[in-house]
Amino acid sequence: MQLKDRIAQGYESGWKVTDGATLTENQTFEADVVIIGTGAGGGTTAEILAQSGLSVILVEEGRLYYQKDFKMDELTAYASLYQEGMSRVTKDGAIAILQGRCVGGSTTVNWTSSFRTPDETLNHWANRFGLDSLRPDAMTPWFDGREQRLNIEPWAVDPNPNNDVLRQGCEKLGYSWKVIPRNVKGCWNLGYCGVGCPTNAKQGSLVTTVPGALENDAHLIYGLRAEKLVANQDRIEHLQATAMSADGVTPSGITVTLKARHFVSAASAIGSPGLLLRSELPDPYDRVGKRSFIHPVNVTVAEMPDKIDPFYGAPQSIYSDHFNFSGGVDGPAGYKLEVPPMHPAMAAGVIPNHGQAQATNMAGLPWTNAVLALIRDGFHPDSPGGTIGLRDDGSPYLDYPVTDYLWDGLRRAFHTMAEVQFAAGAKRVRLMHLDSDWYTNLADCKAAIDDVPMELHRVRLFTAHQMGGCGMGANPEESVVNAFGEHHHISNLSVHDASIFPTSIGANPQLSVYALAARNSSRLANKLKE
Amino acid sequence: MMTSLPDDTLHQSDAPGMDRRSFLKTGIGGAFFLGTVSVSAGLSGCATQPAGSLGDSTTRPASSYQFRFLTRDDIALFEALLPAIAGPNLPEDPQTRRAAIAGTIERIDSGIHNFGPANQKELRRLFDLLNFGLTRVTVARVWSSWPNVSTDEAHAFLERWRTSSIGLFNNGYIALTKISNVAFYGYSDNWHLSGYPGPPQYAVDALPQFKNA
Repeated sequence: MQLKDRIAQGYESGWKVTDGATLTENQTFEADVVIIGTGAGGGTTAEILAQSGLSVILVEEGRLYYQKDFKMDELTAYASLYQEGMSRVTKDGAIAILQGRCVGGSTTVNWTSSFRTPDETLNHWANRFGLDSLRPDAMTPWFDGREQRLNIEPWAVDPNPNNDVLRQGCEKLGYSWKVIPRNVKGCWNLGYCGVGCPTNAKQGSLVTTVPGALENDAHLIYGLRAEKLVANQDRIEHLQATAMSADGVTPSGITVTLKARHFVSAASAIGSPGLLLRSELPDPYDRVGKRSFIHPVNVTVAEMPDKIDPFYGAPQSIYSDHFNFSGGVDGPAGYKLEVPPMHPAMAAGVIPNHGQAQATNMAGLPWTNAVLALIRDGFHPDSPGGTIGLRDDGSPYLDYPVTDYLWDGLRRAFHTMAEVQFAAGAKRVRLMHLDSDWYTNLADCKAAIDDVPMELHRVRLFTAHQMGGCGMGANPEESVVNAFGEHHHISNLSVHDASIFPTSIGANPQLSVYALAARNSSRLANKLKE
Repeated sequence: MMTSLPDDTLHQSDAPGMDRRSFLKTGIGGAFFLGTVSVSAGLSGCATQPAGSLGDSTTRPASSYQFRFLTRDDIALFEALLPAIAGPNLPEDPQTRRAAIAGTIERIDSGIHNFGPANQKELRRLFDLLNFGLTRVTVARVWSSWPNVSTDEAHAFLERWRTSSIGLFNNGYIALTKISNVAFYGYSDNWHLSGYPGPPQYAVDALPQFKNA
């Protein structure tokens, strides 16, 4: 059933899909709504608006890849499906940024973990940013709806051995753990979510809401980069866009003008602030691109006595929130514990070493377990987040300073991860830190964790969750959009992606994006049909 | 290529990196210097164009691959570094060893093409810094030009940048080793070095996208 390829079939049935690389002259397209981005936010928005009878154009900078392209190969997937060919980093190069760049956005390459926005986070938003309409009770029906649409359920199969290390370690230490809800239907439990689901089981935007929109007459133009929203007074008149060549990297020289009654930016927490900054839209309080959050991630790896084969099986199925909100919502930095899959290229890129040491690390991959911590940033005054800026060529960058508050959380997370791995029977544990050795017992490892410098570059840091930069709020002096994602100063512009979060989520963000986009799109559809 | 300064004019400190204070003193000039290396390298005759095809080479395996980013100097740099990065996992037989190195460098070039302009610019600065004689000697403290650098010397250079207390050098170490490690260990011929059997055969046999391969 899941082998039925909706996209291949859709082409045959006459979906309106245009490859920007095939455009040979400048042209103009027009619709009721132009949506920039096809990920969790853009796909959801497109389906709901198209189903309501509005005409919709979807603009995607990346290219269209689907089942025929998903051959479970890391190198081709990283080059084609990820931002900057998987080389995206923060401004100073210290934090690697994993982010999708293709039809479906990051939902095409994420590891399917689907959490509701924690109640603590929603209540904090209400209390701190005046977002009372987003209290947990009000959001429950939207989470219910998206969980149904995207087949989100706790993973019913046994966790793979990599995830089981986290479960066993937590169990032994009395730390709480739970099974991760995943957006899959008929999953084969192969382990290749990160390189494009080969079986169409993952219910990302690529196989759900984008086809849902196309079946309702929406027009998808991929290989098209949104350059600038052009405003007149308080309204956007058109979007100026640049077609990309078939290599996905080089502009072809063709420009496209997109006219609409309403524009929705769903270009991600790096892309949307970048687009708004390039467009020089009104920003009287200098809020665009501020308060960018990333759930900074640090990692420990363990050599386990038995084979783990961390490249096989559902990549994420167990998590622990034991330390996430334990210090209070705005106390010392909390963290969520999860497990990353480790295929050869990913492992070789994450483990910092060379020569004989790296050869030994890699030879041990089948026995290697990795645990990661997602630091919950943005809830405390000492975690104000990063800033999106523009390079000379107009492309966006993220400048993310790591504050002492976050370093404290990262160091505590190192301690917890090492405790968990040794409790689960690890023979030795190593921090993803340039100064770390392998430690054969917990005492030595903890001594090292207290001793190693917590500094940029030396601590290997990652982010797979980009949030904020166009934050929601009741007060325009400290936010970019209101509680419905509507721009405070431009009447026909909404933002429907993770950039509107006023803090990080404290959990993998895709379901938060889906639910808010569904809620805000339903309202937008009603407004536009009046 | 500009001629290197004679060794006796240089400070040959073997400490693992300058201390923070001396870096702060030289930091501003150093950063400015990094920014100007690309220009200087071009003026002084370093290769600045992508190498295209290496078909005329007598020392490298024949290949139809067209380099789109790496210059001939960059290729020489990676030919010197890869024996220290892939290390004992490179084949010993000279011919297969050369082929393994050449293939890895082609995959590095192909990967960098997809990095896009911003990161290409950063890598251009890094590679020019390492290829330009003056900065290779003063900043990387590698005395020979890359084709004459031994595996031990390449390893020592990588270790200096890995253990340095200067973030910029750590960043350079990560950039060089990450793109090399990913291109080497991520390649299907090398999966066995990680004990990775590849995608499950039953899935490959059952899935339509593998049928026409």
